[in-house]
Amino acid sequence: MSQATGIPMRVTDLSVALAETGESIIKDVSFDLHPGKIFALVGESGSGKSVTSLAAMRLLPQALVITGGAVQVAGEDLFDLSEAQMQRVRGRQVAMIFQNAMTALNPVQTAGQQVAETLRLHTPLRGDALRKRVVQLFAEVGIPDPDSRFSFYPHQLSGGQQQRVMIAMALACEPDILIADEPTTALDVTIQEQVLALVRDLAQSRHLAVLLITHDMGVVRNTADEVAVMYRGEIIEQAPVDDFFHNPQQAYSQRLIDALPDLSHFQSAAVDEPLLRLEDVKVYFPIRKGVLQRVVDYTRAVDGVSLSIGRGETYALVGESGSGKSTLGRAILNLEDIAGGTIQFQGKPIHSLGRRDMLPFRKRIQVIFQNPFSSMNPRLTVGEIIAEGMLSLGLGLDDMERQERIGQLLERVQLSRDLGQRYPHEFSGGQLQRVAIARALAVEPELIICDEPTSALDVSIRAEVLQLLQQLQREFGVSYLFITHDLSIIPSLAHHVGVMQRGKIVEQGSAQQILTAPRHPYTQALLASVPRIDRA
Amino acid sequence: MKPILLWSDTLVFLLVITLVLFFYRLRHDPQTRERWSQVFSTRLGMVTFTVILTYVGIALLDSLHFRKALDTPAAATGDTGAAAQEVFYNNKVSSVLDVLLGGMGERFERTYSAPFALLSFEKKNMKDEQGRAVRDFPPLEHAGQHLADPADKWPDVLARSGTALLWGILLSALWLAPQWLLLRHSPHPWHASWAVQAVVLCLGVWAVSISRYYHILGTDLGGADVLYQSLKGVRTGVLLGTLSTLIMLPIAVTLGVMAGYFKGWVDDLVQYLYTTLSSIPGILLIAASVLLFQVYIDLNPDFFSIGMEKADARFIALCFILGVTSWSTLCRLIRAETLKISQLEYVQAAHAFGVSHTRILGRHILPNVVHIIMITFVLDFSALVLAEAVLSYIGVGIDPSMGSWGNMINGARSELSRQPPVWWTLTGAFFFMFALVLAANLFSDLVRDAFDPRSGRRRSET
Amino acid sequence: MFAYIIRRVLYAVPILIGVNLLTFLLFFVVNSPDDMAVSQLGEKYVTPEAIAAWKTKNGYDKPLFLNASNTGLESLTDTIFFTKSVKLFAFDFGRSESGRDITSDVSTRMWPSLAVALPTFIIGIWVNICVALLVVMFHATRLDRWAVFLFVSLMSISYLFYIIGGQYLVAKTWKLVPISGFHADGQAWKFLILPVLVGVVAGIGSGARWYRTLFLEEANQDYVRTARAKGASEISILFRHILPNALIPILTGVVVLIPSLFMGGLLIESFFGIPGLGSYMLDAIKSQDFAIVRSMVFIGSILYIFGLILTDISYTWADPRVRLS
Repeated sequence: MSQATGIPMRVTDLSVALAETGESIIKDVSFDLHPGKIFALVGESGSGKSVTSLAAMRLLPQALVITGGAVQVAGEDLFDLSEAQMQRVRGRQVAMIFQNAMTALNPVQTAGQQVAETLRLHTPLRGDALRKRVVQLFAEVGIPDPDSRFSFYPHQLSGGQQQRVMIAMALACEPDILIADEPTTALDVTIQEQVLALVRDLAQSRHLAVLLITHDMGVVRNTADEVAVMYRGEIIEQAPVDDFFHNPQQAYSQRLIDALPDLSHFQSAAVDEPLLRLEDVKVYFPIRKGVLQRVVDYTRAVDGVSLSIGRGETYALVGESGSGKSTLGRAILNLEDIAGGTIQFQGKPIHSLGRRDMLPFRKRIQVIFQNPFSSMNPRLTVGEIIAEGMLSLGLGLDDMERQERIGQLLERVQLSRDLGQRYPHEFSGGQLQRVAIARALAVEPELIICDEPTSALDVSIRAEVLQLLQQLQREFGVSYLFITHDLSIIPSLAHHVGVMQRGKIVEQGSAQQILTAPRHPYTQALLASVPRIDRA
Repeated sequence: MKPILLWSDTLVFLLVITLVLFFYRLRHDPQTRERWSQVFSTRLGMVTFTVILTYVGIALLDSLHFRKALDTPAAATGDTGAAAQEVFYNNKVSSVLDVLLGGMGERFERTYSAPFALLSFEKKNMKDEQGRAVRDFPPLEHAGQHLADPADKWPDVLARSGTALLWGILLSALWLAPQWLLLRHSPHPWHASWAVQAVVLCLGVWAVSISRYYHILGTDLGGADVLYQSLKGVRTGVLLGTLSTLIMLPIAVTLGVMAGYFKGWVDDLVQYLYTTLSSIPGILLIAASVLLFQVYIDLNPDFFSIGMEKADARFIALCFILGVTSWSTLCRLIRAETLKISQLEYVQAAHAFGVSHTRILGRHILPNVVHIIMITFVLDFSALVLAEAVLSYIGVGIDPSMGSWGNMINGARSELSRQPPVWWTLTGAFFFMFALVLAANLFSDLVRDAFDPRSGRRRSET
Repeated sequence: MFAYIIRRVLYAVPILIGVNLLTFLLFFVVNSPDDMAVSQLGEKYVTPEAIAAWKTKNGYDKPLFLNASNTGLESLTDTIFFTKSVKLFAFDFGRSESGRDITSDVSTRMWPSLAVALPTFIIGIWVNICVALLVVMFHATRLDRWAVFLFVSLMSISYLFYIIGGQYLVAKTWKLVPISGFHADGQAWKFLILPVLVGVVAGIGSGARWYRTLFLEEANQDYVRTARAKGASEISILFRHILPNALIPILTGVVVLIPSLFMGGLLIESFFGIPGLGSYMLDAIKSQDFAIVRSMVFIGSILYIFGLILTDISYTWADPRVRLS
C-alpha cells in the first residue's frame, strides 16, 4: 500500500516501554518519510527521539520493548519479519549513521574493510570489484585520496572523515532510507556544516528518504524539509520547516526557536575600565622524544594571546575544540603555568604568584565549568559545595551567617532555600549549573570565567541560564570571560568577541563588528555555519 | 579464669570497631547508601552476606581467649593462707567458641577414625576379655560409649538428630523473632537471610549435641576431631583475609593518592616502588620474609610466654608480610583513579577557591576513591583465604600448632592413597573453605557491580 | 619504537638495583649471617667456632658493604654485598648453601618447567576463550547466569584440591596416567598430561569469567550497534567484531606471564615430582637455602620486567591505535 503511495517508510503509532516496569518511553509516534526529503525529529535529551529511530530498526537495548505500532518499509511491516529477514533489511533498505563516528567505527578494522563488510553482506561483490566500489563510495562522500584511505584505521582519520566513512558505509548498498542519529553533534561547527551539506546533496541525488534526529534547531533550519518536535515521548507538533519556524503552534516549539540567535540585536560596548589584561600570554606543553625523553618541541596550546576585559563587561572567547581557549581560562586562574607574557588583574601581575599569594585574587576571579555534574563533588551537599569557597577564602562569617548567605544565594539563582541539604545527583543539569553560579558568586568575585557553561544543557534551559548570568551582571557589575564554541549565544550576551584558532586570537573586536562584518576567513567560516532566522 | 588478649585479637577487634565507625559515618552518604541497598536488594546478596557474617561471628567468638584456672592440688591448699590463694592457669588457651562447642575439642582419640565410626581406623594389639592378644580395631574413647549394641548406632543418631533439630528450630524462632518484628516492612529480602540464619543455628545445635556422642567428621592423625579443627580454621582464614588487607590499606591509599595528586617526582618514586616490589615473584618474597621472621622467633624464644603467643606472632607477621607485599595492585588502582579525579572539574573548582591540598585530598579525593578500597577489600579477602592454604603447604604459612585449613590439607594430602582412603579431613577443610570463599566471591561480584562506575554506566543508559 | 624499547630496558636497571638492594637488606641486614648460621646448623651444634666455620665455607665471613682491611677497589669488592648481590647482575649465582652450582641447576631445570607451563598456558587460554565465547552467545539467559555461578564456584576451590582431586581420580582411581614423575625422553607426554590438565581445569573459572566480562564490555560498544545496523548476524558480530577487539586486552594481559613460564609452577611441580624450577624453589624454601632463593628472586624479577616490555610491544602489534613513543 505504502509502496503505491511512494512512501518508503511509514511509522504508525509506535510505542516503546521499559521492559521491567512497563513505563512508557515513547507513545503513538507516527510519521512518513518521503524520497529525497529530509525529515527532522527534534527534541531535547530524553525526549525519546533516539529510541524512536532504534525501535524502527529493531535495535533497541534489551531493557526496552516495543509495545505497539508498525513500521512499514516498502509495504512490509518490519515488526512482522523474522530476525534473519530483518538483517537483510538493515543496511540494504534502511541504513543508519550514529552520533559519535569515532566510537561507532570498529577501531581494529580499516575504514575500507568496514564499508566492504556491508557490501559483502548484501551484494555478491568480492575481491577487486569490492575494493573498487568502496573507493568509489569514499570519493562520493568526499574523502580526499580515497584509494589510500581504504587502509586507514578510524583513529587515523579526522572526525569529519570518520563521519564520512559512516555515511559511505550506510550508502554502500543504496538504501532507500537513511536514519541519521545526531550525525554532527560531536563535530566542530565548520565540519558540521560540511557533513550536513553532504547529507543534503545525497538525499537529492539518490532520492534518499532521510530521518534526521537532532537537538539543534539550527541544523533543522538549514537542512530539513519537514520537522516534528518530540517532547516526553510524543510528537507534539509536525510541520514543513518554513511553516514551523514562522508559525509554531506549541509554546514549547516557540521556546526552541527563541533559543536561536538573533543577529540584529547586540550588546552595546560597556565602559572601558580594564579589569583583566593579558599580554602575549603563552602556555606551552612540552613534547618529549627519544631515549632520554628530552624536550624536543612544545605544543603551543596558547601562543601569544593579548586581550583585555573591562569591569561589568562580557568578553566571549570563541573557538573550536583544541583551539586553546580552555587552557587560557585555566592560565588566568593560575591553574596552569604560563611560558611567557603577563596576566594583570587591576594592574597587578598575578601569573607568577604562589599558592598563598594568589589567595586574595581567588576571591575576585571565579569560574563556572562546562559539565555541572562533574564540577560538583557527588559526596557533598549543595550547601557544603557553596560554602567551600567561603570557608577556604576566609570570608569571616560564622556558621549562622554562612547558612543565611547560602540560602540567599540559592534564592538569588532561583532555587529554593531548602535545597541546600540535597546532594548533586538529586538535581537536573540546569539546576546544578545554577548551583555552580551560586558557588562562584558566594565569594563576591569581580570576574567569572565561564568555560562553556551552557553547552551541556538542553536548548530551553540554556536560555534560562544565560538570562540569569546577564541579570547577575547588571546587578553586581561582574565581568565574564565567556569561553564557548557556540557563536549563536554571543549576540545577546557579549560586548566583545575574540576568535581563537590554534592558540592564537585571529580576530577580536566588538560583538557587532565580528558578527556582522567578520574579516578573518576563519571567522567567516564559523559564521557561515550559524543558522539565521528572519524574525517576524 | 584469666582473659588473654593476643595481638591478633587486639587487631581484629580494632578492625571491627573501625569498620563499624566507618559505616556509621557513611550512613548519610546518599550514593553509598544507594549502592549498598542495591547489593542487599538481591537474595544472593543477603544469603552470601549472612554466610560471611556467620564466619566472622565464629572468628570473633574464637578471638575471645582465656586460660582456665587449674584445679589446685588439695595438698598444696591444705593450710589456709594468702600464698595458697595463688591460682595456676592452664597453659592451653581456650576461647569462648570452645566453651560454646561443649568440649568438642577435648575429645581426642588415638589416631584416624572415620565419621560416625565407633572403631579406630588402625588395628592395634589388644587383650580381649579372655586376656588373649588380638589385633583388631580398638573402640573409640569418645564415640558411642552410651550404646549397648553398636547396631543401634544409626537409629540413635537419627533420634538424637530429631531432638537436636527441634531445639534448633526453637532457638531459631527465638533468635529470629526480634529481627522479624524490626524488619518485616523492610523492602530488602530479609527472609533469605533468615532462612540461612535458621539453617546455621539448626546445624550448630545439631553439631554440638551429636558431637558429644560421635565424631561427625571423624578424627585426624593425631586423633583430634576434624569438625573442631575445621571450625578453628575459620578464625585463621577470616583474620588473615581481613588483617592483611587492613595492614596494606594505609600504605596503598597514602602512596596511591599522593602519586596521583601531586604527580611529578612523588609519582615517579611511588611508581618505582611498586614496580620494583611487584617484579619480585610474590611467593618467593613472602616465603623469604616468613622464613627470616621464623629465624628471628627461634632465636628470641623469651619474648613469648606461651606457645600460643609464638604462633600468634608468626600469624601476625604473615599478615604483615602479605599486606606489605601486596599493596602494589591497590596502589596502582588508586593512583589511576586519583589522576582521573584530580582532573575533574570539582577539584579544579576547589583549586580556584584556594582550598588547601590537605583539604582537597580529604574532602574531594579520598571519599571518591573509597569505592575502590571497598571493592579491593572484598575481592582480596577470598584470594587471601585461598593463599593461606598454599602457603601452609609450602611451609611458610600458619604455625602448625594453630589450626588452619591449609595445615589440615597439608597434613592429609597423601592420605587419600591409603586403603581405604582417609577422605574426611580433606572434605572438612574443603567444605568450610569453599563455603566461605564462594560466599565472598559471589558477594564481591555484587559489590563490584554496585560500586564500579563502569558497570553503573550501563544501567543509566536509556 | 626502538627508542622506546631502549628506554624501557634502561628503566629496568634501577628496578633491578632496587630488587637487589631489597633482597640484600632482607637476607643480610634484617638477619645477620650469624643468625643464618645458627638456623642452618641447628641448635645442637651452635658453637662460635662452628658458626665461623660455616660462614667461611659459605663466604659470609666478609663485612657487609666496606672491607676496611683491604685497600682500593678491593675494599668494595671483597664484601658480602659485592660477592653475593652485585654478582647477580653478571648472572653469576654462585653456589647454594649445600654447595651446588646454581647456574647449572637453573639451566637444566628450566626446561621441564617450560614443558609443563607452556602447554598449560596455551591450552588454557584457548579453552578459556572458547568457553567464554560459548557463554556469551547465550548472554542474558538462564544458561549464562548458571555458567557464571559455575565459574565463581570453580574459582572458589583451592588449587590444592584440583591437584589432589586430579591425582586421586585420574591417576589413582582410573589409572590412566602415572601419578607423578618425569622423563625427558619420548615418554614425557605421559607424565605431562595430568599436570597440564589440572592446570587448565583449575584456570577455567577465573579465566573464562574474566574473558566473558571482556567480551560483554565490547558487546556494549557503539561499533557493535553499527554492525547490527549494517545487517550483520549475531554470530558474525561476535566473531568479526567483538572477538578481535576483546583479544587485545586478553593478549596484552597474558603476555606479561610468558617469560615467567620458565619459572614453572611451585605446586604443580612439587605434587607431580617434576624436576623444574618451581620445585627447585620449593625445596630451597623448605631447606631454607637462601642462596637459591636470592638467585630465583633475581631471575624472577628479570623475567617479569622482560614480560612488561613484551606487553608494551604486544600492544603495538595487536592494537592499531597504539604507537609507542
